[in-house]
Amino acid sequence: MKTTTRAAAAGLVAGALLLAGCGSSDSTSSSDTTAAKKTTTTVAAELEITDAWARQSPMGTTAGAVYLTITSPVDDALVGASVPTSVAATTEIHETVAADDSKMSSTTEAMGGDTEMTTTTAMGDSTETTMAEGSESMTMQPVDSIELPAGEAVELKPGGYHIMLLDLVKPLEVGQSIDVTLTFDKAGEKTVTAEVREG
Amino acid sequence: MASRPDHRRRWTALLSIGCFAAVLALGACGSGDDAATTTTASRQIEGIVRPEPLQVGDLSLPQVAADGSETPFAFKADDGKLLFVAFGYTNCPDVCPTTLYDIKKARKQMGADGDRVQVAFGTVDPERDTPKIMNEYLGSFAPDGHPLRTDDADQLKSVQEAFGVTSSVVKNPDGSTDVAHTARSFVVDDQGNVVVEWSFGTGADVMASDLQLLLDQQDEDS
Repeated sequence: MKTTTRAAAAGLVAGALLLAGCGSSDSTSSSDTTAAKKTTTTVAAELEITDAWARQSPMGTTAGAVYLTITSPVDDALVGASVPTSVAATTEIHETVAADDSKMSSTTEAMGGDTEMTTTTAMGDSTETTMAEGSESMTMQPVDSIELPAGEAVELKPGGYHIMLLDLVKPLEVGQSIDVTLTFDKAGEKTVTAEVREG
Repeated sequence: MASRPDHRRRWTALLSIGCFAAVLALGACGSGDDAATTTTASRQIEGIVRPEPLQVGDLSLPQVAADGSETPFAFKADDGKLLFVAFGYTNCPDVCPTTLYDIKKARKQMGADGDRVQVAFGTVDPERDTPKIMNEYLGSFAPDGHPLRTDDADQLKSVQEAFGVTSSVVKNPDGSTDVAHTARSFVVDDQGNVVVEWSFGTGADVMASDLQLLLDQQDEDS
């Protein structure tokens, strides 16, 4: 009996260790704990904008996109974005959405919050749902604002929200950096530097 | 005493959960474990595989050169190769470059076998995507790629129907253009069968792993 118990425990530990070994989940959990500690000691944390980047322009295109992650200490909203006119003529906040959805429903979805995080019991099932079939037609639409719930890292990433640069003055090249000025409902204006990467 | 077997069963169950977690965790660590993936007997296609593969080998679209000259391009890989196919438009800043960058990266990861993966990109917005732009654009991701473009809307539509994809181009009164298109990508074998389909965001690691597996299977069969 004892041996079975020990073996079982070993199996569990191995599982846990391996899970912790994966870089990404590890860093998220540790930054979560630091964030939690900060809020107990300091009252007003700064709005954080991290990992700002833009994809190198393929030849022949005049459009580009900037991606970044925003964590606001209070409920806020990203309401505007701009880049110098030497980079692009127009800057808009866009969202890539399923084309089948009406504009209304996709907006509500984006504002809706945590409905996806319901079941965590069956590990196998969650991967299957992401592969669900459909027409998968996607389009982009400008959005007026992106909600930033307090303490939540909101990612602007491929296939979701992005800051779209229209009519690029010249192609974005690896090594170049772009100053992006973001306007927040409460935090006002913040400028970040986005690095141009290959992808 | 009656409780013992129950007890034992519970631990056995927990043990298998532990192992299951370990297997999942191994699978989740994408990069760096190429050696592990190739030696594992349970390698399988991660993309979407239809029970009845789509047949696209009889269809073609014009492959355009920068000067506008056209050669028919059939949706069938060269012998012993695989053909990656995606539809989109060059002014697409988000979905299209993400997918094309992923296939570029996947081919690179595959080393020499990456050359056995052909890349075709068909425009859904031929009015703005001139032959010159199509060549420049695809060249950024695959210098040996096949830029496909037709002004014949019916021809484009029949090809899209065969792949089960849709697209729409709407011009707005303010001069802007809204384009919607299916973000799925496809892999076609040398018989013209669609052997795997990938949803948007599949990523280079999965693409490389699926392509390698398909090439290995093809080599075994021949």
